[in-house]
Amino acid sequence: MKEHFKRNMHQYRLLALLGILLIVMGFLVPGKFLTVRNFRNMGFQMAEFGILAIGMSAVIMTGGINLSIVNSAMLASIISSFVMRAMYDGGNGMAELPCIAIGIVVTFAVALLCGLFNGFFVAYIGVIPILVTLGSQTVFDGVALNITRGSSVSGFPKLFQQIGMGTFLGIPYTMLVYLVVILVAYLLIERSYWGISIYMVGGNEKATRFSGINTRKTLMGVYVFSAMMAAVAGILMTSRYNSARADYGSSYTMQAIAATVLGGTSITGGSGHVLGTVIAVAIIQVVSSGFNILKINRNFTDIAIGLILIGMLAIKHFVDKEKMLARK
Amino acid sequence: MKKLLALVFVLVMLLSCTAMADDMTVVVMPKLVGIPYFNASEIGALAAGEELGINVIYTGPTTGDAALQVQMIEDLLIDGIDALAIAPNDPDSVSPALQKCIADGVLVMDWDTTANADDVTYSIQQIDNKVLGEMLVDLLVESMGADEGEYAIVTGYLTAANLNTWIDYSKAYAAEKYPGLTLVTDPVASDESAQEAYTQTMALIGAYPNLKGILGYSTPAPIGAAMAVQEKGLQDSIAVVGTSMPTDSAPYLKDGSLDYGVLWDPSQLGKLAVYVAYLNLTGAEIEGYEVPGVGPIHINEDGRTIIMADPSVWTAENVDNYKF
Repeated sequence: MKEHFKRNMHQYRLLALLGILLIVMGFLVPGKFLTVRNFRNMGFQMAEFGILAIGMSAVIMTGGINLSIVNSAMLASIISSFVMRAMYDGGNGMAELPCIAIGIVVTFAVALLCGLFNGFFVAYIGVIPILVTLGSQTVFDGVALNITRGSSVSGFPKLFQQIGMGTFLGIPYTMLVYLVVILVAYLLIERSYWGISIYMVGGNEKATRFSGINTRKTLMGVYVFSAMMAAVAGILMTSRYNSARADYGSSYTMQAIAATVLGGTSITGGSGHVLGTVIAVAIIQVVSSGFNILKINRNFTDIAIGLILIGMLAIKHFVDKEKMLARK
Repeated sequence: MKKLLALVFVLVMLLSCTAMADDMTVVVMPKLVGIPYFNASEIGALAAGEELGINVIYTGPTTGDAALQVQMIEDLLIDGIDALAIAPNDPDSVSPALQKCIADGVLVMDWDTTANADDVTYSIQQIDNKVLGEMLVDLLVESMGADEGEYAIVTGYLTAANLNTWIDYSKAYAAEKYPGLTLVTDPVASDESAQEAYTQTMALIGAYPNLKGILGYSTPAPIGAAMAVQEKGLQDSIAVVGTSMPTDSAPYLKDGSLDYGVLWDPSQLGKLAVYVAYLNLTGAEIEGYEVPGVGPIHINEDGRTIIMADPSVWTAENVDNYKF
């Protein structure tokens, strides 16, 4: 028990910070912040960003980075939107449900291609991840802009909006999807053989390869996993905004990296927890929503999140150093 | 810990005081905050709030990301607002969020950029394209000092829809009202760059020695044209009129190489948005209301579109009054 607490110190600190933030916001916006309505509102918003952040975390745990995660989400959404619109044909074509099902399959298929593209260059050609994904960011974005000419695509079945706006027993569907994604990601990354190999690759790729693990497969898997997260997030976003456009969510890329690092994942790889990222996403959401409700200039939101990130990392750094010294 | 609690307490007190000061809350949301154009409209919106004694919040995303705008709208609804005037980054993406506002009884309007017609009660637009197009021709004729002669058009991109609309109105008006004016060649593109407009104008001056006037569309075009006229020392023989930002125009207006700059004042646009929201919420008559510094409001036949007024004109005398 004590060992567990020690190992996950950073996550408990984050949890404590989240609690403090909730209490402070509750004071600052009395009777409005700590309400079912606001939690539902934050639940609607948090899912798409949280899922992207989990997709980013898995890649960063291998010591890589995925700068094209949002772009692959949007490219997949745009293509599936075109497909859905064509098949639905304003109500004259296919029935709503099969049309949406095909749309979802197309989203996953396109995202899979994006993931294989990134994974191929990183795992099999050996190009540095930041270069590969910076390049693919431009490629995916370019393709998306070209086929849409910069405008948004909409006109799919009304029912599709329900994914992003509907609730089950008062809980947003998006939140339920997010919870399932968290569980799956936790099992895959922290409780599976492949998951262990992610940390090993992030720690020391060469040593891992020589110990008989197929590091290429591990890396390829990570980029595909990341792309699948992008697909899920893309579906939620397309539904919530009732349209798809090349630049939706463009601010999520850097935020997802920030959430990963705030969650305790080392930017050089080899460590980190899914739940750390999830708590970090919740912290960013509470600050962002709280400041919006308080109508504070959006620049201060960015500043506050930046300060929280630096503060928490500084604490982590000093505590880790002390631990190292104590061990000696 | 005690200090922290005390600090929190003080903050709560401060914030609850500001929150209680006014009853009506109008939110004006630009596409993004922190660029000169939208900083100027912020000044107007906040000034209107003070004049009317209502609570005006000017807030928007730090990047032009439509997703962020949607989140901000949803969050603002939690606190309860009375009106939202939005310049949407994308009309489709904000549509579900705006519908939520309407369901909550919030007055929704758009300003600067139009939203989907079903999502807004009022649509506040900066200018009437026809008025702007015709005004440019009148000002050119005035600066040339004659209603006949050769003139040329320098535009931003040949594909820009808004610029082409203005050019079409200008050409049609010139042909009808001033038959003596001859357009020497098709509009020349300057790629939204003053440098390119300068190069193109130099070429025009060389090719058409009798050129008496230049119309510039897009904000850098008239500046580039004026740079060329200034360099050639032709201030007195070639008139330059176009759509430009006042701070960019000031040096050229003062030495006569640019005769008139025309555009709308974004601060007036912010002000108008707040006034329309206020009038609607208080149930007052909007049509014909005189907004101080902006003029009377006129609602178009569609019952929704409000066009701010005639474009503002910058001259050597008044240009220093504008700070954008």
